[in-house]
Amino acid sequence: MIWEVFRQEAAGDYHTHCGNVHAPDREMAKQFAVIQHGRRKPAHSLWVVPQDEVAEVDEDEADFGGSTDKSYRWAMTYNDVEPAAREVADSEAEQAEAGADRGDS
Amino acid sequence: MDIAEVRDRAGPREFNAGDDMPEEYREAATRMIQFHANSEIMGAYLERPFVRQAPSLDRKLAFSAKVQDEIGHGQLLYRAAESLGVKTRDEMLDELANGEGKFLNCFHYPMDSWAETPMIAFFVDGAAMRRQATLKSSSWEPYAHAMDKVCFEEGFHVKHGEDILRELMNGSRKEQRMVQDAFDEWWPRIVQFFGPTDDDSTHHGFAEEVGLKQMTNDQLRSAFLNAYVPKAEQYGLEIPEYPRIEERDDGTYEVRESDLDWDEFFAIAKNDYEPGVGQIDGRARTQEAVEWVRGVLDEREQAAGTTAAAAD
Ligand SMILES: [Fe+2]
Ligand SMILES: [Fe+2]
Repeated sequence: MIWEVFRQEAAGDYHTHCGNVHAPDREMAKQFAVIQHGRRKPAHSLWVVPQDEVAEVDEDEADFGGSTDKSYRWAMTYNDVEPAAREVADSEAEQAEAGADRGDS
Repeated sequence: MDIAEVRDRAGPREFNAGDDMPEEYREAATRMIQFHANSEIMGAYLERPFVRQAPSLDRKLAFSAKVQDEIGHGQLLYRAAESLGVKTRDEMLDELANGEGKFLNCFHYPMDSWAETPMIAFFVDGAAMRRQATLKSSSWEPYAHAMDKVCFEEGFHVKHGEDILRELMNGSRKEQRMVQDAFDEWWPRIVQFFGPTDDDSTHHGFAEEVGLKQMTNDQLRSAFLNAYVPKAEQYGLEIPEYPRIEERDDGTYEVRESDLDWDEFFAIAKNDYEPGVGQIDGRARTQEAVEWVRGVLDEREQAAGTTAAAAD
């Protein structure tokens, strides 16, 4: 049985997928995950999930965000105003970064 | 874990569902996050009519995206609250429908004209964002994680809200006057957004000691006034004379509390204020109307549960 492994580097971080292990049951999966994924890189906590329980939907099936112009829902669109506060500017920067990652023009 | 240990360890994102938290912490966190979740939902209902009433297609699209975001924030936050193990999401939604669930003062007032929309979309979202940015460091990790996504999205809300304000204040004299009237009416409520001064706030001490929140009402109100008073002035809004607000030498602000209507505020806090009651009931009816959707989902879940159990 294959178990997908998610590692959290430090307390408060997100658990992110880092690989998988072969194991007969949950307890063994946890042990193997510790050995294979919890030793070389910083780890504060690991999750193991049976691979069968992971459902996937990919970009062939779903329009993530679609191809329609949705510029109206991004802070960068409203250029006639300056961010009112630091956290507004931070949010805009995160949105711009996500836009670049998505490959928006 | 006992309270002493919680106080000791109470750093940002320190605790999660894997920790054995004392009842007092779990209840305080539930109260705070449920209030926040309810506020997202009630705010969305207040703004929803403006999807229809928006003056242009761009505004309509932006408003519908924003309202959708707010409902999403409510969902994220009910999950974060649920993870404390005190109440289920269904219980919290029922409490909101039957008038037990508490939410932000500003969302108890009716909003009728387009000229009022910047009051929520710019000033209230802006005030909320001041607070939410600090809650990314809450000690309840699921709450802090919800704030990551909420703050990611909110920059659009606040800038869009400001853009409406900018447009109206550069519009006709009539538009400018309508916005000023709305501002006169909403300003004291917005100043009350952060609640009474710290000395009178009942729940503050504990929530701060255990790291659930990071800044006091007064600090947040000051931070808000610092950023948003200049914005209001920039667009030509006149700050109402009351409540009197004085800037201290260190750049923080002091609001004359006695200039504000606290009877109204506390009636609202008990869900006893009339327009708010109507808004709660209005949402309850909408919830009722889509009961059949939840029924279908529950049936599917049960059916899936039996097949999964049979397969084991
Ligand atoms: Fe929100
Ligand atoms: Fe918002």
